[in-house]
Amino acid sequence: MRRCIPILVILIVLSSFLSSCKKVIQLDLGTSSPHIVIQGDIYDHQGPYIVQISKSVNFYDSNTYPAVSGASVNISDNAGNSDHLKEASPGIYITSALQGVPGRTYTLIVKIDGQTYTASSTMPDPVEIASIYYQKSLFGNTIFPAISFKDPANINNYYRLIYYINNNRQNDINVTDDKLNAGQIINYVIRPLDTDNKLIAGDVVTIYLESTDKGVYEYFRTAGREGGQSASPANPTSNISNGSLGYFNACSVRTLSAMVP
Amino acid sequence: MKCRKLLKGLRFTSNIGNRGMGKKIGIFAVLFVGVVASLFSQSRLTISGYIKDARTGEDLIGATVSVKELPSKGAEANSYGFFSLTLPSGNYEITAQYAGYKSQTQQIKLSKSLKVNFSLSEQSKELDEVVVYGRRKDENITKTQMGIQKLDTRDIKSIPVLFGEKDVLKTIQLLPGIQPVGEGSSGFTVRGGAADQNLILLDEATVYNASHLMGFFSVFNSDAIKDISVYKGNEPAEYGGRLSSVLDIKMNDGNDKKFGVSGGIGLISSRLLVEGPLVKDKGSFIISARRTYADLFLKLSHDTSLNKSRLYFYDLNAKANYKIDDKNRIYLSGYFGKDVLGFGNTFGINWGNSTATLRWNHLFSDRMFSNTSLIFSNYDYKININSGVSLNIISRIQDFSLKEDFQFFASTRSTLKFGFNSVYHQIIPGVITAGKNVSLKSLTNKYAWENGLYLSHLYSFSDRFSVEYGTRLSVFSLIGPGIFYAYDLSGNIADSLNYRSGKFVKTYLNIEPRATFKYVINRQNSIKAAYARNTQNLHLLSNSTSGNPTDLWIPSSNNVKPEISDQVSLGYYHNFNDNKYEFSGEIYYKDLQNQIDYKNGAELNLNENVESQILFGKGRAYGLEMFFKKRFGKFNGWISYTLSRSEREFSQINSGSWFPATHDRTHDIAVVGIYELSKRWTLSATWVYYTGNAVTFPNGKYEIDGKTMFYYGDRNANRMPAYHRLDVGATWIRKKTATFESSWTFSIYNAYGHDNPYSITFQDSKTDPTKTEAVQTTLFKFVPSFTYNFKF
Repeated sequence: MRRCIPILVILIVLSSFLSSCKKVIQLDLGTSSPHIVIQGDIYDHQGPYIVQISKSVNFYDSNTYPAVSGASVNISDNAGNSDHLKEASPGIYITSALQGVPGRTYTLIVKIDGQTYTASSTMPDPVEIASIYYQKSLFGNTIFPAISFKDPANINNYYRLIYYINNNRQNDINVTDDKLNAGQIINYVIRPLDTDNKLIAGDVVTIYLESTDKGVYEYFRTAGREGGQSASPANPTSNISNGSLGYFNACSVRTLSAMVP
Repeated sequence: MKCRKLLKGLRFTSNIGNRGMGKKIGIFAVLFVGVVASLFSQSRLTISGYIKDARTGEDLIGATVSVKELPSKGAEANSYGFFSLTLPSGNYEITAQYAGYKSQTQQIKLSKSLKVNFSLSEQSKELDEVVVYGRRKDENITKTQMGIQKLDTRDIKSIPVLFGEKDVLKTIQLLPGIQPVGEGSSGFTVRGGAADQNLILLDEATVYNASHLMGFFSVFNSDAIKDISVYKGNEPAEYGGRLSSVLDIKMNDGNDKKFGVSGGIGLISSRLLVEGPLVKDKGSFIISARRTYADLFLKLSHDTSLNKSRLYFYDLNAKANYKIDDKNRIYLSGYFGKDVLGFGNTFGINWGNSTATLRWNHLFSDRMFSNTSLIFSNYDYKININSGVSLNIISRIQDFSLKEDFQFFASTRSTLKFGFNSVYHQIIPGVITAGKNVSLKSLTNKYAWENGLYLSHLYSFSDRFSVEYGTRLSVFSLIGPGIFYAYDLSGNIADSLNYRSGKFVKTYLNIEPRATFKYVINRQNSIKAAYARNTQNLHLLSNSTSGNPTDLWIPSSNNVKPEISDQVSLGYYHNFNDNKYEFSGEIYYKDLQNQIDYKNGAELNLNENVESQILFGKGRAYGLEMFFKKRFGKFNGWISYTLSRSEREFSQINSGSWFPATHDRTHDIAVVGIYELSKRWTLSATWVYYTGNAVTFPNGKYEIDGKTMFYYGDRNANRMPAYHRLDVGATWIRKKTATFESSWTFSIYNAYGHDNPYSITFQDSKTDPTKTEAVQTTLFKFVPSFTYNFKF
């Protein structure tokens, strides 16, 4: 039997070598009619705030998304303020006087070619990031950034995290709620799907903690699982009406930076 | 005397009837009394006994007894090897037969009822283990059952499989109507049903998760298995609880003549089996174990995170039986298996099944056979996370059941089966224990009581025409304690009610009529038709493509209605060349109610309100199955072809129009060939081809926050590429003496290296950032394996 073991090792190595290969394939994915994509954010800091409107394209088209110009875009809050957004450049609409204030509910109304898209979002109170720390990965020697913050008690809280490495925004979607640890210290580890951008000593990590509402959380939660192992992938649940893709997010945001030791 | 015993039996059924069965069973009882009473007007005598393997003492399930003087009379041994044959007094020559065994004949002088036991010897063949055996030669023509596939474990020995692990669940996928859920998977679907609509029984105990290692291996160690039957939706009334199929697996009883050891050393795992008599000719035991050892090689790694990883599974099957006297026999069998996966101290998950069955066979008379079973079944998983926070999650489904089955051999034309099954289910969706700062709440446990009561009658009007009909009454009750919710259309809690312990929350009662008709045209041809209704009250929530150990079983409730299927089927059976060749063709149509799908972005994990994430709809499935088999000879094997369609309709999916189910397979072909090259060498090959799964691919894209997002159109509007694969294998018998046998098996999985997609993902192109691309992952190409087997 002892003689067999090296052969076994070789065969296992060999079979894992031959197994699991990836290749780019061409699929007939058909075409889809262009869909309206709206993305709007209101923060609890000074404006102007931006609403972007574009259209979707076919899968095998190049990654340029047609801007939607000439839309009527209006944001109002429940304190009687209203702002008609100006188109600063094609598809980019900006506010002029509106100020994001925690506790207020903001309503977005967009009119394009006779179609009306509406959304509303309520801005919660800000939550401070207590600290940034690092966690070692289970495999290999990668380290992941993590934050710790105190969840406010007695209300449902929803969070979205955005993080930068050396001022480069990372694309992963990170959201969490307090369903499992309401009123407690929440520790959140950012585990990127794409492990190409490994953290190394001296990198500056910046994390934004957005406190947002349930509709926005649901959007990013469902967007984050797209392309996973789901047997039935679907478009994220948007908080905008009338079949528009995208989201409208009124959030209060806090940030913290730290250098990787 | 006999009449009194019979009446006792009948009184028993009618008692149960009074307890709430209603009119239907009453009608059946009257019918049965009529049929049975007519049989008692004549004086008839009974020959009964057991048919066994002469060398090992194993019961020969399905062996037949025939009477030379009365060619139309015969009997078949039941799952415990028992047969009963009622004849007028006289002299007879009766013969017991079992394919692959020498038949045995006894001269009987029948002046009073007799006990006759048969011990059949295997036909001496140098290469016995490579022959694909049938049972009775023309069983497919003469048996009243249809939509059934049976496998002898000898059938699977030489068929090449992934990593050389013989696997019954993979072998049955080569039969018509039974389809794998994915590459290398032990998971399967039957006739367009879902993977959770298969009832998998191991010695009568439900196995809730039949897969190891994410589905690449099944929990069934083929060394421990004697017999496999798959009923494709037309199961007899004694089975119930799942819509699509019943996979009834019986474990070996063990050799009651002499001790034996056998085993195998393979690439992935090693196996060892020990069997022997407890008391010679009266009782035996068998213990069979298997363990994988990939993790032992991980330990050799210098990578500190790899060598602290755990990745293995093991199985233990054990069984003992003891014959107390001619009328009483007890069996105790159990299974225990576990998968362990972990990385150092930071993360661990283990999962596994355990089952135990205590059975008592009792002969009330030489025509009344009974079996009483106490059954325990458990599936659980435990997750342990220790990174920053410490967290333990335990989830479990556990059954305790009592099952009582009676078989009454009224005459050679008429066999009655009746009985009941009472199961107490306990479902623990998640008990969470966590360190400080984590206020995760455990989920509410669910309790249910499931009862089945059945009656079925097999009656031959003539040698040609017979019918097996019956009904099953299923009563399922969800029981407190707990808070039970009602939800509005958008999934918010609309109402909640608190139930005390033992209070009935919701009870569903279903009547499941079933019938099969057989007409034998001549010795080579027969036709059959069947109808069956099945209901299902336990539902598996799984939204992954391959199935996960953490998938959750939920009971029917105030929100979740029982799933119901009605299947009609029609079949033609033809054997020729002295039963050397067997052909069958079956068509079926199945209507499905209360099917389950999920809302977009459904949150199924650790969600107290998981029932709010579910959608309900209907389904239909239909198809044609063809099977051609060469059963004997140096070259044998089969071709199986299925043409089918399976569709679903949910008002919230694809605007309420019909769409293909994920496992809708238009074409499914399997070819199996086994060739005995010489006394020492046997070659084998299998080739499979099937239409790719119906899947949802993106057909557009857009940008959010600088990130490419994909736009998905209609559900399951796309197809995975068609799948095909050739496996080849060889068995070399190194040594074979009376006391010792050893052999090697070699195989190559996916021998022509076709790139079968395991998954297809969509991403920004790595080479051209202005484009997006589809990337296919292939798991297995040219996977070689070998196994060394021994027996002494």
